[in-house]
Amino acid sequence: MTELASRSESAPATDGQGSGRGRAIGRLLPALPAFLVLGVLFLGAMAFALVFSFWKTENFVLVADWNVDNYAKFFTVPAYVRTFGKTLLMAALVTLGCLALALPFTYFLVRYVSRRWQRIILLAVIIPFWTSYLLRVYAWQAILGEKGVLNLVLETSGLISEPSRLFVYNDFGVFIVLVYVYFPFAALALYASLDRFDFSQLTAAQDLGARPDQALRHILIPQIRPGIITACIFVFVPIIGEYLTPTLVGGAQGVLIGNLVVNFFRGAQIAQGAAFAMIIALFVTVVLVVFRRHLQVEDVVARG
Amino acid sequence: MAMIDKRLSRRRFLQASAAASAAAALSGLGSASRLVVAQDGPTGTFNWLTWADHFYDEQLDAIDTAVGIRPNATFFSDNAEAFVQLQEVGGQLDMVSGDALWVPRYYEEGLIAPFDINSLEVSKNLYSVAREFPWWTVPDGYLGFPFGWSPVQIYYNPEFVTPDPDSWEVMLDPKYQGRVVTENQPVEVIAYMGKLAGAKDVYNMTDEELAAAKANLAQLVPNLLKFTDQAQETWALLASGEAWLATANLGADLVVRDELGGPELKRIMPKEGTVAWMDAEMMVDGGQNQELVLPFLEQSNQPEYIAENFLRYGRPLFNEGAYKVLVEMGEQDRADRFLFNEPEAILDPNLTLKAPGLSTEAAINAFNEVVGA
Repeated sequence: MTELASRSESAPATDGQGSGRGRAIGRLLPALPAFLVLGVLFLGAMAFALVFSFWKTENFVLVADWNVDNYAKFFTVPAYVRTFGKTLLMAALVTLGCLALALPFTYFLVRYVSRRWQRIILLAVIIPFWTSYLLRVYAWQAILGEKGVLNLVLETSGLISEPSRLFVYNDFGVFIVLVYVYFPFAALALYASLDRFDFSQLTAAQDLGARPDQALRHILIPQIRPGIITACIFVFVPIIGEYLTPTLVGGAQGVLIGNLVVNFFRGAQIAQGAAFAMIIALFVTVVLVVFRRHLQVEDVVARG
Repeated sequence: MAMIDKRLSRRRFLQASAAASAAAALSGLGSASRLVVAQDGPTGTFNWLTWADHFYDEQLDAIDTAVGIRPNATFFSDNAEAFVQLQEVGGQLDMVSGDALWVPRYYEEGLIAPFDINSLEVSKNLYSVAREFPWWTVPDGYLGFPFGWSPVQIYYNPEFVTPDPDSWEVMLDPKYQGRVVTENQPVEVIAYMGKLAGAKDVYNMTDEELAAAKANLAQLVPNLLKFTDQAQETWALLASGEAWLATANLGADLVVRDELGGPELKRIMPKEGTVAWMDAEMMVDGGQNQELVLPFLEQSNQPEYIAENFLRYGRPLFNEGAYKVLVEMGEQDRADRFLFNEPEAILDPNLTLKAPGLSTEAAINAFNEVVGA
């Protein structure tokens, strides 16, 4: 907004200062609803959460008794720190999993598939979005469960003699389902980046003596870096707050930090829950700042 | 659940209506038992914060058609969640569902308005005990319109769980690793474990009692297949044989066997006692559409609707008129197995009624510390 204002101010005023300001307001007007929505629904809500996080809940009522006990609890109870660490590890592994699947997939798509088929395949990638997240995760319960499709196939094919209980209601089940859920985000971000890449550069590098892996590492990867970072943001950040997937397929052992935070809110312990939510939000902000150092906004917008 | 809904569909609704007419004629319930009571009164929409099993769509459509009142229903999971929500939005809500000793808490906070329950014609269909619960009676009237109730019991598959248990302790037995399910309600789970630890008041536990309950939970967790999101998920896991032991409301055995084709289950009331719920519809103090609440209750609690609600969602309700309808429909055996005609069972001293406790935050922390990594 500051940048917008300064650009307007530096623009030549043909009809004097008053009309210059009027033009700036005119330019700002279409964006105003978005600023209001962001300000009220996001920043306003965050401000409330921040205030509540320093209060206390007494007998289900929020009391404006300023303290930092709620924050202290997070850092002094090992279970919370460990669960947060486990959540970060899960987010990192799922991000790696998604990149490992999406990179070769989109590389193949962009380099070897016709435009027409690219569109059809990309449509197939985003078709799951047409059904609700909840239904998709429920479907995985039916696939991975003890009486599920996967066990049926493995038993029928003679690979196992009795149904396995290892596929679901544990961290492995959470990992599989999260990779499935977030794969499209990674694939779309990488596709947008690869689509603008000139593959003749790889041929040129190899003509000049580079091995294929060297060409990929030194020519391709640096140029699609914005796409990779965008994919990381789209996958890693939402998983830190994941609640539904661990609830449905995580069992008692697959709990992530989001599940523990929800328990506070469901039990009306607003102050404690708000403090934990703020810690997670702060961490996400730090992650975004780190990513931002390696990524210009223009990279995402203009280069994918 | 969709499968269950399909089976219990329009056909049975019509069956209930027909049985209702007969029941009305036979029992002399008179005008209180007609499916739709014609009335001249306010019409419109009001806001209702409730659980999803407090109504069904055809019921709301019929009431809307008959008297022009329709609730805009939103849902919650835990009593505490609804309590906080009402504190925040106040008169934007008109009716709230709540449990047992949570109801007087709403009143103490000035959130609900008592009413004369006997002024409602449909109240005549309630069991008399339900109109006289002391914790819902205040000088200004009654705090809510009684709806459903149940103790939380342990259901088990006798094919795998032997010998027959009599205590919460069975859920901690390492023999049943990964075969136990319970609903994802941290305060309630800690309460069950508190019962096992011998706590006097499981919603107001001392530090020692909480520590003992937490130690029990630590033993329970390896046995848990998962924390289920709702009763339907518990039933499904029992029916599929993935779970052998579960906490559930009255009637889970019938749903598992009759509706889901699952195994024959047994149930126990643990010797240490258990917790119980009993819910009511409360009128919000200062609700913007408050004038619609009592006329709606007059309609929605007609015995035929309550009988159908029982057949759909399976737990006893405080409506004697509905019991008579069920008898007329040939469902007496089913109703009796749910203790539908024994509402005084909720007064069993071994039951601890759900309540807003002082140890809630500590209970959630204890739960999180065990369940977290």
